[in-house]
Amino acid sequence: MHVRRAVITAAGLDDHQLPLQRLIDCDGRPKTAIQIVVEEAVAAGAEDVAIVVRPGAEHVFREAAGTSPSRLKIISQDHPRGYGDAVARAREFVGDEPFLHFVGDHLYVSDAPRRCAEQLVAVAKAEECSVSAVQATRENLLPYFGAVGGKRLSNCTGLYEIDTVLEKPTPTLAEQELVVPGLRAGHYLCFFGVHVLTPTVFDLLERLREGGARQLTPALAELAVRERYLAFEVTGRRYNLGQTYGLLVSQLALGLAGDNRSEILAQIVDLLAKQPVRQG
Amino acid sequence: MSSIVRPSLVGIITATDAVTRNRSVDAICRDLAVGELLEECDALEAFRRQSGNLYERVRALFFLYAIHRFHLPGRLEESAAKLPYEGYQYLLERRFEEAIEIFLEAQRSHGPSDAVSSALAASYHSLGLQTLANQVRRSVRSLRGNQWMFRMGHPADHSLRMRPELLATNKDGVFPILRELTPVRMDLSHAGWSDIFFLGMDYPEGARVLNVSIDLAVHGRDAAPKPPVEAYLRVIDEPVLRLTSVDLGATADITDLAEVFDFARDYLGLLKAAVIASGMVPPGVEGSGASLAALLERLVGPGLGIELVSSVNSIPKGSRLAVSTNLLAALIAVCMRATSQAATLTGQLTESERRLVAARAILGEWLGGSGGGWQDSGGVWPAAKLIRGVPAMEGDPEHGISRGRLLPMHHAVPLGGSLQESLVLVHGGMAQNVGPILEMVTEKYLLRSEAEWAARQEAGEVLDEIIAAVEAGDANRIAAATTRNFYGPIQTIIPWATNQYTETIIARVREQFGDRFRGFWMLGGMSGGGMGFIFSPEAKSAAMEALNAIMRDAKRELEHALPFAMEPVVYDFAVNDRGTWAEALHGHDALMPAGYYTLTIPKLLGADRQRLSRSRRAELDAFAAACRSKPELSGMVDSLFDRLFPKPATEATNRNLKTILSDLGFDAVQHELIRTELQHGRIGVSQNRLPSSTRIDDVDDGDVAMTFSHDTAASVDRERGLDALRQGHVAVVTLAAGVGSRWTQGAGVVKALNPFCRLGGRHRSFLEVHLAKTRRTGRHVNQSIPHIVTTSHLTHDQIEETLGRISPGRFVDVRLSPGRSIGLRLVPMTRDLRFTWEEMAHQALDEQKQKVRDSLRAAIIGWAEHTGEGSDYTDNVAQQCLHPVGHWYEIPNLLLNGVLAQLLAERPGLRWLFLHNIDTVGADLNAAILGRHMADGACLTFEVIARRIEDRGGGLARVNGRPRLVEGLAMPREEDEFKLRYYNTLSTWIDIDQLLTFFGVARADLGDGDRMTEAIRTAAAKVPTYVTLKDVKKRWGHGQEDVFPVTQFEKLWGDMTAIPEVRSQFVVVPRVRGQQLKDVAQLDGWLRDGSAAYVEQLCDWA
Repeated sequence: MHVRRAVITAAGLDDHQLPLQRLIDCDGRPKTAIQIVVEEAVAAGAEDVAIVVRPGAEHVFREAAGTSPSRLKIISQDHPRGYGDAVARAREFVGDEPFLHFVGDHLYVSDAPRRCAEQLVAVAKAEECSVSAVQATRENLLPYFGAVGGKRLSNCTGLYEIDTVLEKPTPTLAEQELVVPGLRAGHYLCFFGVHVLTPTVFDLLERLREGGARQLTPALAELAVRERYLAFEVTGRRYNLGQTYGLLVSQLALGLAGDNRSEILAQIVDLLAKQPVRQG
Repeated sequence: MSSIVRPSLVGIITATDAVTRNRSVDAICRDLAVGELLEECDALEAFRRQSGNLYERVRALFFLYAIHRFHLPGRLEESAAKLPYEGYQYLLERRFEEAIEIFLEAQRSHGPSDAVSSALAASYHSLGLQTLANQVRRSVRSLRGNQWMFRMGHPADHSLRMRPELLATNKDGVFPILRELTPVRMDLSHAGWSDIFFLGMDYPEGARVLNVSIDLAVHGRDAAPKPPVEAYLRVIDEPVLRLTSVDLGATADITDLAEVFDFARDYLGLLKAAVIASGMVPPGVEGSGASLAALLERLVGPGLGIELVSSVNSIPKGSRLAVSTNLLAALIAVCMRATSQAATLTGQLTESERRLVAARAILGEWLGGSGGGWQDSGGVWPAAKLIRGVPAMEGDPEHGISRGRLLPMHHAVPLGGSLQESLVLVHGGMAQNVGPILEMVTEKYLLRSEAEWAARQEAGEVLDEIIAAVEAGDANRIAAATTRNFYGPIQTIIPWATNQYTETIIARVREQFGDRFRGFWMLGGMSGGGMGFIFSPEAKSAAMEALNAIMRDAKRELEHALPFAMEPVVYDFAVNDRGTWAEALHGHDALMPAGYYTLTIPKLLGADRQRLSRSRRAELDAFAAACRSKPELSGMVDSLFDRLFPKPATEATNRNLKTILSDLGFDAVQHELIRTELQHGRIGVSQNRLPSSTRIDDVDDGDVAMTFSHDTAASVDRERGLDALRQGHVAVVTLAAGVGSRWTQGAGVVKALNPFCRLGGRHRSFLEVHLAKTRRTGRHVNQSIPHIVTTSHLTHDQIEETLGRISPGRFVDVRLSPGRSIGLRLVPMTRDLRFTWEEMAHQALDEQKQKVRDSLRAAIIGWAEHTGEGSDYTDNVAQQCLHPVGHWYEIPNLLLNGVLAQLLAERPGLRWLFLHNIDTVGADLNAAILGRHMADGACLTFEVIARRIEDRGGGLARVNGRPRLVEGLAMPREEDEFKLRYYNTLSTWIDIDQLLTFFGVARADLGDGDRMTEAIRTAAAKVPTYVTLKDVKKRWGHGQEDVFPVTQFEKLWGDMTAIPEVRSQFVVVPRVRGQQLKDVAQLDGWLRDGSAAYVEQLCDWA
């Protein structure tokens, strides 16, 4: 399996300015969030990258992506028809090949020598199938993520065969459908925001669109039925820019993962020391 | 043969082949000697401690219970022994293992005894049931879909969210309402109560129930059947949890998280349990100190709250149709839908969602301190279904622990026609507690008692027959099978499933309808409440009217003998084909049930309209418009006025009460004096006790005489007694003034008339039994023996009327002795409530039930403070406000009311009275004891029995060196009672002339009323007055009951032994003679241990 293309969706975000926010990356260089995501894709081996945006945002995203225009394609989603529809827009760009997919408002920090997306692509190549990056997540965060259930593959650390995919399940449903042996109680495999998907997903999206469904999760649930589909626990962390203080936390995570860690820690300590003691 | 191949009892438990595993423990133990039984006990005790399997442990515990309750006592000499108080305390605190250790040590040290066996039996029984209950609770918690609720401990972690559809307001700011409509279930057969959780989890192959979901209407009241259970949910623009029970007339705005878990605080416990069990307020946050507002903000949004409303369309409680479980299920379902825990907001639920609702209903019932069977939430499923136990498989939380899963499977059964055209469904009106029956069933199942086990197999065959008949739509065949079920397996397993009321109705229906009456059908756990009568289709209409009349007549005849909660009703019903169903109401249709507005509008009227939220104003406008346009709301104005200006019902009650008090010679001056003493703390429950310096010791062997011997002296006594009986020197006095507070939990039933057991071929009341014993003695000595029945204002008219209907025969001369003393109950002092609940030893309950009880007690203390401590208790029917003033007055009453004077005038040879309590059913005119009493020449001879652990409330003691009877409430220290080997039966042989001497009168003075009054007043001053708390029931609504503890005053007969000038003797009698029946839960053991047979052979029913 060769993964040459990456698709980043940034059209349906509540705050479509988020990917355009400027941050300091691990190396201490100022970049937009979308640029950091694009670089993650390129580092994972993507030769061409497409960003799906809402109409009118093409120019700013092209500017903010910070990569060579030859390998970047901006795709416009003319109406907000859901996440699945946004992915489906990239069908022509992807063609009949597996592709790497990111959501545009998440940043990733790896805890391993290889970057997060790179780890995922390596697994997909080895296993020759669709693979979604997942992270064991406490049940209180279920309202924010899609989640998967399945069986751990023997002799493969952090690799699972997916049999169920649910979007933002209640803990009740998660406990009934998504319990994965080996995880701590109350923890589920939630999507990390990065996937390697086979083009089958486009057929499924098309069929589901005819039935009125506009989300990606039902297509992924169907994918698990149609073909081998794995989940991989990436060695790293994801940061959602859209959450309260998401930008701040993401910046701190990037900073603390890089060369300027000591300086940032010193500033945090200084900040804390100057905080007046709050009574009560 | 069986003794040669007899397996050990442990071997029976561990056997893999069904034949051995299902052998009856009773059948094996019957042939064993004491030593062999004790060896089996040792082996079982060791086995249960090492076994990791739940059911092996539980079965061993029940085997141990059976040996100590039924097999060892009969083989041990009935000698008295002391019980270690420490063990008793552990038993009360539910520390059963420690209690067993202490009692076993006592057995090792002092040898086996009846007393220690009684304590071990109680401990093993309780530990067995507790182990089972714990396992059910663990299984409910460990069900997937429920576990997370116990982990979630902080609002910030709450991961449920209100569905967006319910947050979308219309232009007036009105939120939509989600309405859940749920049928109830009627079971055609529960195959011998096989829906008890414990049974399903040990015997899944035998656990099968066929039940049908139905809509209901009260015939003659409601227009047409509809789902009787309704639950409503909506978002409100206040950060509160607003709960309303339309039927119970209760509503509350809850702002404090702790209040959500306070179940007995008000009538909203079921709604609270649903909010918790649905995960909206997960059980894990209990006691977290978190804020409800924060939790609601997370769940619904800032500034928003939730309103939950329940309504059961005035379907009476106790219908045996599982109304409350299905209401709980409906409430849970609506909450789950609202928080996306069901796939769709409206319509039916999926099968897995129904199962989760059922599981959570079990959880909710446990939270609320109640419990039903696993079939009870059957209304969630559509139409007819076979519900069956499922073997636990790998991956199930029960696997390796029990043979079956907690939750059964539901399989649809096609319902042929005709049942609806043939069945008349009724509520007989009786109030019953099915709890003890469920415990009896569990016990008999675990013991594999021979007849009951065979009956269980037959119940399974009957169920197959019913299924076939249902599928064929053959109502006659159904009727034949349900009737066979009722008279066969059901009553073999539990004789108490029927009662005189049910038998009367069936007999009259059969008489009136002949072969057009096809059969009887018991619904649920026992008969008397919900019941079915099957007729030929053309007779159904007439039968509905006739049954109404038959039930009302039978109730009128028996309402003083059996506990009724309400007037009987006949239902119209229809099979419900869709199960629980939800719909969303929007805009002008977004209205709560009409009763909700009757309840809430009066409060809103007092509020400034501008202060009402916009959505509330819009809703009221919509409701007003609906009242004008919808015919079903046409009576709302009247209802609202009734609510705003309620009729002063208590005025009528008070007038009635005053009349009764005046008629019965109530001493108002004395009453005020007592009230003042009580309110000033000079008397009270704590002051009942003898001074702490009092020395309480057990009596010496020489202080009591034994009646077990068969020696020459006993034979001489017997001859002497018989001679006195032949001469007509003896009369019986049966104390029948009471209403059996414990027997019917304060229902106000005349205990003497309660047909408590089937004896001599039919149900017999306590009074009938006593008269039958006197008749037998009378026939034996060829004398008409006087039998005086003492009555009170609570019992006199009813007993007189009953006696008027029966002919006692020529060997019994029945006379009534009407009570001449009466008390008015008082609202208790909180100090007495606290003393009773906190200072006195009492049985702790299972953890959750204890929480509910604590909450209820807090509410009762609030009630006493609010109503006025020490004020007259008048907020009930008059009969429940009055009380008899203790059995000490029963004999003085004979002097006052002229009964003794007349009797002595007619029978001057009369010299002795035999007095006994109404519930001492084994007490008779035993010639040997009478002869002994005559020979001793004592004024009073009291019969005592060797104490068992359940015999609480005093005993025979040496008090400061002098033998006398001491009431439990007079014991200086509770542990003193455990020094005593003998328990008072109250049965007393009285020398009439010596007693008159004590009162300072002679036979000739008996006609002098003033002299008698003075004599009694003087004597009364010599015996203490006790302040006691009694439970009384207050009935309201549709079969609802509240129980209130109230204060009353008593003088007790046993205190005569403390008076030095009265010469008292004490004789020890066998338990079968002295046993008192105080609690219906005793009946099954009483029947099985041979006591009932003993009583039966004392009786002459002719």
